[in-house]
Amino acid sequence: MVFMSEIPQQWIIDSKSNYFVSIRELLSYKDLLFRLVRKEFLSSYQQTLLGPFWVLLQPILTVLTYVLIFKGIIGLTTEGVPSFPYYLTGITLWNLFSDLFLNTASTFTNNINIFNKVYFPRLIAPLSMVVLNLIRFGIQMGLVVVIILYYHFSANMPVDFLRSLLCVPAIIVVTGIALGSGLIFAVVTTKYKDLYGLLQFIIRLMVFVCPIFYSLSMVPHKLKWIVNLNPLSAQFELFRYSILGTSGINSTQFLYGFIFMLIILTTGILTFNKMGDRLMDVA
Amino acid sequence: MIKVEHIGKKFQLGTIGSGSLRRDMHSWWEKSVLKRNDKSNGLDGEQLNSKGEFWALRNINFEVKEGEALGIIGRNGAGKSTMLKILSRIIKPTQGRVIGRGRASSLLDIGTGFHPELTGRENIFISGHLLGMTRQEILKKFDEIISFSGIESFLDTPVKRYSSGMYVRLAFSVAAHLEPDILFVDEVLAVGDAEFQKKCLVKMNDATSHSGRTIVFVSHNLQAVTNLCQHCLWLDKGMIKMEGDSRSVVSRYLSGLQERIWKQDYTTWNSAPGNDHIQMVSVELIPQLAEAGAPIDIRTPLTIRFRFKNLQPQVNLSVDLLLFNITGECIFDIQSKATLLNNEMVEGECTIPGNFLNDGSYYFSLYFVRDTSRELFTLSECLTFEVADFRENNNWYEKWWGQVRPNFPLTLTKKSDIPLNLSQRGRS
Repeated sequence: MVFMSEIPQQWIIDSKSNYFVSIRELLSYKDLLFRLVRKEFLSSYQQTLLGPFWVLLQPILTVLTYVLIFKGIIGLTTEGVPSFPYYLTGITLWNLFSDLFLNTASTFTNNINIFNKVYFPRLIAPLSMVVLNLIRFGIQMGLVVVIILYYHFSANMPVDFLRSLLCVPAIIVVTGIALGSGLIFAVVTTKYKDLYGLLQFIIRLMVFVCPIFYSLSMVPHKLKWIVNLNPLSAQFELFRYSILGTSGINSTQFLYGFIFMLIILTTGILTFNKMGDRLMDVA
Repeated sequence: MIKVEHIGKKFQLGTIGSGSLRRDMHSWWEKSVLKRNDKSNGLDGEQLNSKGEFWALRNINFEVKEGEALGIIGRNGAGKSTMLKILSRIIKPTQGRVIGRGRASSLLDIGTGFHPELTGRENIFISGHLLGMTRQEILKKFDEIISFSGIESFLDTPVKRYSSGMYVRLAFSVAAHLEPDILFVDEVLAVGDAEFQKKCLVKMNDATSHSGRTIVFVSHNLQAVTNLCQHCLWLDKGMIKMEGDSRSVVSRYLSGLQERIWKQDYTTWNSAPGNDHIQMVSVELIPQLAEAGAPIDIRTPLTIRFRFKNLQPQVNLSVDLLLFNITGECIFDIQSKATLLNNEMVEGECTIPGNFLNDGSYYFSLYFVRDTSRELFTLSECLTFEVADFRENNNWYEKWWGQVRPNFPLTLTKKSDIPLNLSQRGRS
């Protein structure tokens, strides 16, 4: 420490923008990261009636709507599992994806006032969104556990602890894809604001292409390729399998999703780092 | 220590900046395929080339030693803010590099990152972290920050309920307790009341003279620059016009500013100043001179006439005419009556009587306000002029004191009816 203060660190600013950001620099901004998470969490529940309960209320209300529409009106089956936990698991994972994707994609829009005034590694902002959404997801998973236990004791639904650990890889892949694609969209929509409309469209389309309220086994053979093309499909199946023991998973499909995540996450981070500085000229 | 070497910054106008994919593709088509020139932007002069590239800064070199304060002055659009943004690592330079030693922090705004819904306490941490303080540092200085700001009892109130004065005080207190080796300061001192600005200046002065902090300070307040900074850099059209000790640079800058601009006809410009609400047409200063060709002196009545287009329907618009002296102090702010306007051309006129302004250099700014409170557009430094001195029967040769020099009658009357010895008795 003494050494550090005697010979202050030297830094250089030049015209090169880097693909990489040093982990050490990122770590030195961890206080800021958690403060941004806290700020976002606290500010979204100021002057609300129910406050943080919305984290739980939102999926419950969505599930009730799904139960009414897909089970009540359309009459979709839910692979022998009660419809409430069936839809709840799908929606919980879907919320993680869509919230994180949209939050990351609007990084520049939401933080332009800060980005214009101070420097910090820009990646801190989307990373804080990852932490925030994982916390929200954790709370919602608590609800899932409570519901499962309720069905376990009242309706004798089988619970397998070891199998449920399989949800971890699904969560990781979904988070990675949401972050990676969000970062790419953050760059693109900052430059071309009109592409933000495309974003909304993608999210609406994905609700139907992801097996949230149906299972892959229910998709007609002719259309299966569309759902299979979606790297998230296998993750939703795996996630539901791990928690509810529904229809099994296809390891090739999972692997496809995993590799897709690695590629899009790397591309996303590199593009974001590279373009982050330059975008401030146009943002 | 900061060393700036050959810094240049190029902005691409019209090509990247349009913000819409369709327009970008259109502009690419026009330029690359049809070989036409893109004239969508209206900056003229040497800074803009045919490709729509605009050099905001070119070949800037300077060095600030440890414990030194450097002031950067220049007219609006000279590149001061761009320079500061490059130093603050917010934007990348196109050319050159900056080498620095020590922890750097920038103060480009007061209350960066403040969230109106959150409490004062939360915001101290948010702002502190954004300015580069660690949690430990903030905790250590927390009590000091609170007592400096004087908002103890409102610590757990959302800052949106603060008065604007409290808000500024809290925001500044956080910034004031920042202890970086290098500090980049924009005109944050422009906010807050006079007393607060003074507090700010004192704090900054302490910082350089006692703790060996390096400061780069951009300001319009030439008085502050001279007091605070040993060295000064004068930027003009993106290049260094002059560099040296503050006093001489500031005085040269002042004499340079004294070129007068009495008339601006924006209809000949590629794009008139303005925005979605207001588009300027012309501004003109019409001195009522005793004889043609004579300079404006303190006796001359001055008429300011301006024309603009109001672009939005049903706007309750008022205009402020602001007069500044050369050090950036506002002499007056005259507000027009609010008038309900539609999409139409408007002319404004105001006459300042003779025998009102003291001699010196002045500039006008126009400030357009909706519903007497919401700022729509500011046209700063649109007219500059000089008022010459005029004295009759006077042997006083030094600069006449005072910001204004009105000719209010001050009379002396001989009072022969009061006995003289009355006052003599009082004295003894």
